[in-house]
Amino acid sequence: MRGRDTFRAPPPGPRQPLAFSHRIHAGQNQIACQYCHAGVRSSTAAGIPSLQRCIGCHTLVAATKPEIVRLRAFYDTKSQVRWIRLNDIPDFVHFNHRPHVARGFACQKCHGMVQTMDELQPPFRLASMSWCVECHRENGGSVDCYTCHR
Amino acid sequence: MRRRDFLKIVGATGAAATALPGCSSRKPQSLIPYVIPHEEIIPGRSVWYSSVCRECPAGCGIRARVREGRVTKVEGNPEHPINMGGLCARGQASVQGLYSPDRLQTPLRKNSSGQWIATSWDEALGIMVAGLSGVRDAGAAPHITWLSNGGSGSLNVLIDEWLSGLGSNRRFRYEPFDNASLRMASMLAFGRDEIPSFILGSATVVVSFGADFLETWLSPVHQAVEWSTHRGTGDRRSITIVAGPRLSATAASADRFFVAKPEDLPCLALTVLEMLLQSKKSSGLATAERARVESIARKCRSQVPAREGTALADSAREICIALAGATHSIVMPGDSTCDGAGGTMTAFLSLLINYVCGNVGSTLLYQSARRSSRYDEMLDLQQRMNAGEVPALLINDANPVYAMPDGIAFAKAMRHVPIVIGFGTCTDETLEEASLVFPTHSPLEAWGDVEPFDGVHGLQQPAIMPLYGTRHLGDILLETGRRMNLGFGSPQDTYHEYLKDRWTEIHAKSQAGMPFDQFWSQALWKGGSWERLTAAHVSLKEGLELPAVPAEAEKGSSALSLMVYPHVGMYDGRGANKPWLHELPDPITRLVWGTVAEISTEDAVRLGIANGDILKVSSQFGSVEVPAQVTRGIHAGIIALPLGGGHTNYGRTATGVGVNVSRLLNSTPSSEMSGGVSWSGTQVDVSVTGRKTQLASLQGSVLQYGREIFQTKGQPDPARLPEVERETAPLYAGQEYKGHRWGMVIDLDRCTGCGACVTACYAENNIPVVGRDEVRRGRSMTWIRIDRYEGDGDGPASGFLPMLCQQCGNAPCETVCPVYAAYHTEEGLNGQVYNRCIGTRYCANNCPYKVRRFNWFDHTVEEPLNWQLNPDVTVRTKGVMEKCTFCVQRIVEARHRAKAAQQPVSDGDVLTACQQTCPSKAIVFGDLNDPKSEVVRLRRTEGSRAYRVLEEVNTDPAIVYMKRKWNGKNRKT
Repeated sequence: MRGRDTFRAPPPGPRQPLAFSHRIHAGQNQIACQYCHAGVRSSTAAGIPSLQRCIGCHTLVAATKPEIVRLRAFYDTKSQVRWIRLNDIPDFVHFNHRPHVARGFACQKCHGMVQTMDELQPPFRLASMSWCVECHRENGGSVDCYTCHR
Repeated sequence: MRRRDFLKIVGATGAAATALPGCSSRKPQSLIPYVIPHEEIIPGRSVWYSSVCRECPAGCGIRARVREGRVTKVEGNPEHPINMGGLCARGQASVQGLYSPDRLQTPLRKNSSGQWIATSWDEALGIMVAGLSGVRDAGAAPHITWLSNGGSGSLNVLIDEWLSGLGSNRRFRYEPFDNASLRMASMLAFGRDEIPSFILGSATVVVSFGADFLETWLSPVHQAVEWSTHRGTGDRRSITIVAGPRLSATAASADRFFVAKPEDLPCLALTVLEMLLQSKKSSGLATAERARVESIARKCRSQVPAREGTALADSAREICIALAGATHSIVMPGDSTCDGAGGTMTAFLSLLINYVCGNVGSTLLYQSARRSSRYDEMLDLQQRMNAGEVPALLINDANPVYAMPDGIAFAKAMRHVPIVIGFGTCTDETLEEASLVFPTHSPLEAWGDVEPFDGVHGLQQPAIMPLYGTRHLGDILLETGRRMNLGFGSPQDTYHEYLKDRWTEIHAKSQAGMPFDQFWSQALWKGGSWERLTAAHVSLKEGLELPAVPAEAEKGSSALSLMVYPHVGMYDGRGANKPWLHELPDPITRLVWGTVAEISTEDAVRLGIANGDILKVSSQFGSVEVPAQVTRGIHAGIIALPLGGGHTNYGRTATGVGVNVSRLLNSTPSSEMSGGVSWSGTQVDVSVTGRKTQLASLQGSVLQYGREIFQTKGQPDPARLPEVERETAPLYAGQEYKGHRWGMVIDLDRCTGCGACVTACYAENNIPVVGRDEVRRGRSMTWIRIDRYEGDGDGPASGFLPMLCQQCGNAPCETVCPVYAAYHTEEGLNGQVYNRCIGTRYCANNCPYKVRRFNWFDHTVEEPLNWQLNPDVTVRTKGVMEKCTFCVQRIVEARHRAKAAQQPVSDGDVLTACQQTCPSKAIVFGDLNDPKSEVVRLRRTEGSRAYRVLEEVNTDPAIVYMKRKWNGKNRKT
């Protein structure tokens, strides 16, 4: 069988509007993913944390570092931060985070070793349906088409 | 090479050059988080807000579904006493009014050459205040006039306060279908100048004299909800009798339909009254009362023209027998369709019949003092404007220039008014005549309330932030009121606070027994506040005056009698800016996009008219050109035209579609004391222009050709086709359904053909609007359609059959799909996977129910109408097949919800969009494997009525239809 992991080499992560590092937050400081991406527990979407969530810590933590100063400027002026989208699936796929998280799957299973990345790379695993189907088969999930396509 | 490998290679080489079907390349590539999150918004989850529908004066409660701050759908509020969860097509389409591309976004003023100039709020408010202050300084303030629609609630009180602050009380409330003759008849009979309400929930005999009470008349959803409690499986099956000039959806749902000219209705009603007075039924009346009614009936007899022949007496006898045998009954006079042809007399006699039957106070109640302006008052306003007596006119949510018979004259009169200020969400024919226009919030963006009956207060709360720089009319009034020192509070006060203040009064009157804050948040949650309704006690008025009956007009050889009625989607024209309502077929003609004249078969033969012939219909007041549709069930000599089309200035969707038939009507008020518009009785000449058009129809034929698609119980079996041999040995092994098996029961005895489900499906499932030309080519995308079939002989005159994907157990579509895009799910659905579909259309060809729809185009939805799209449903692209999915996104959502609560999905957890909105609860959805589910219970208890469409082809559908019940006959008077 063709190695799934060599299907497409991950391109280097793009430069985001703020130099946010998952390695520092999720890796070094061991902050749980769900602290910022709280939507996974209750919604289809994981959600990108609001700037208020960032500022909640960064009022005290590392408040003077240049990137945090920039973050503060976004927050104070109520400006949009346009993150470049990396986790993308086609519109005809209706993925729901809630049941996957409730079942206890690690985020890394699909999103890769995010806690090691400074600049986030697109998760190559989301590129193919076989990734989903094989996991569903292994774990007794439904493989009915309507589970995701509707 | 195996087939799979081949497809893989084709896929790999093709993918580079072309995008996958169903794959959109116009996706936004940036993710923008909230700076400060809204406490109620979780991306990906819906929030529901209770509010009130403002599409007509009925005041139904709604709940608006909001995703990421955008309203994606509205549904009926199940707790609301008016509509109890149901909502009509117009209510469903209200969200398209919010996202209309024609919304006004900034204040506009007309410059000296008559062009609209965008202006700032400050400047516009300045112009308004300066203008009105000038009028006040000149001493003409008492003539400042406000024209609105007939709505109720706090905004009306504020308008009154604002006007009286200026020193004026000149208030007009214009409703085209104002039921003037019913109101006049109420005045004459009971001394009450108001429209009664009709409580169908306790009536087992329902009689309508031309009232389309299930579609457009008064509070149609409320009436349909109550009417349906005695239909189908309901207890004590009611008898519904309709006598009227045209087969409406209401008439088609009746047990007996007497086709009668409007001019014959007074005589019919009088004969019924006379018969009732001779029967035991009138013994409930005191002797003196009875003698009074008898003497009134005698006096009426001298006024009402007699009718020859026995048919009318036979119909009257049948109505009388039904009424005499019922403990609770109701008689409804529909004057909007019969006014001008003795409508006031019909309404008057109907009220007397109700009185004799003891219905007044039980099924006919006086419980709302809400009233609109009489039509002759509007004409008086027009005259005053012409005489230069109106220094300033302010207009909100009323469109007399479109809907009044001589609207052009009203528009001309408006030009004599120095200051005309309009308030609205989009421009229309009346606002076009203004000199200054303020953009206001759409009802879904605004605070407000309505009071459809005394004691029922619906609370309207914003479900979405205003899309544009619009303002609430109430806020404009408060602001200008402060600038002109009319005594309105501090500058910080908003209409929201004004409304809350008004609700403290409602709170004080209520027996809620809780502090105001709790009362208010409960009202926000529930959608309002309502308590036991109280009705005024009424008795026959002393010294009765009788309504006049106009003489019947002389007829020429090509003359027909015109009848104008409200369109089920457009109503009085205000629905015409919503694409869904144009694509919603008329229940009877099954035609979309435009106005069509209905004429009888007899007249068609006599005048040589065929379907699609363009007729020139001219009265002495105006003429229109309109295509013809020949219909059974309309009285000979009548031409029926719906109001609602032919806008000249109401946005891109409405303008130029259909014709405005009010221009054919007499602008002089009817001679029947009601002062209303003569909707019926105008004589028109009809000539064939020689041109022809292809009608945009959703149904090939209303005849069944013996296929027994629409079945009735209680009628003798019609002549059958030779019995089709049933295929008993299936080609494929049967499937076992271990978990759920989804199925549906549709009760044809309850379906009224109103089309609410169709529009609800458009809203829920992102169904594109294709337009007239594509419908002509048979490319409508509707997933559910309400087919109408005509009975042959001794069945119902007509009946409705909602047709949607039957989710067959042995589905013909699945076996022919070469790519497994049409497949059978574990829960019995016929799945359709868009991203697999390659568009062979084999499945649609093989479907015996013709419910599959092919995307011939990428149907683009105009900005910002696309903001309404449901994010849980894929927007399909060119080249893929689609069809009803039983709202699978709702099934999946219910499953996730149940799983999170660690419970199984139970009956009632999944409501399909069509089922949810159905006012008459004709559709029930559920699990066929759950012995306790409602669908299983219905199939068991109503087994004798159950059948499946085209069962002989052995498709094993999951939808069971319940036969229409039938015990009547049809006759012409």
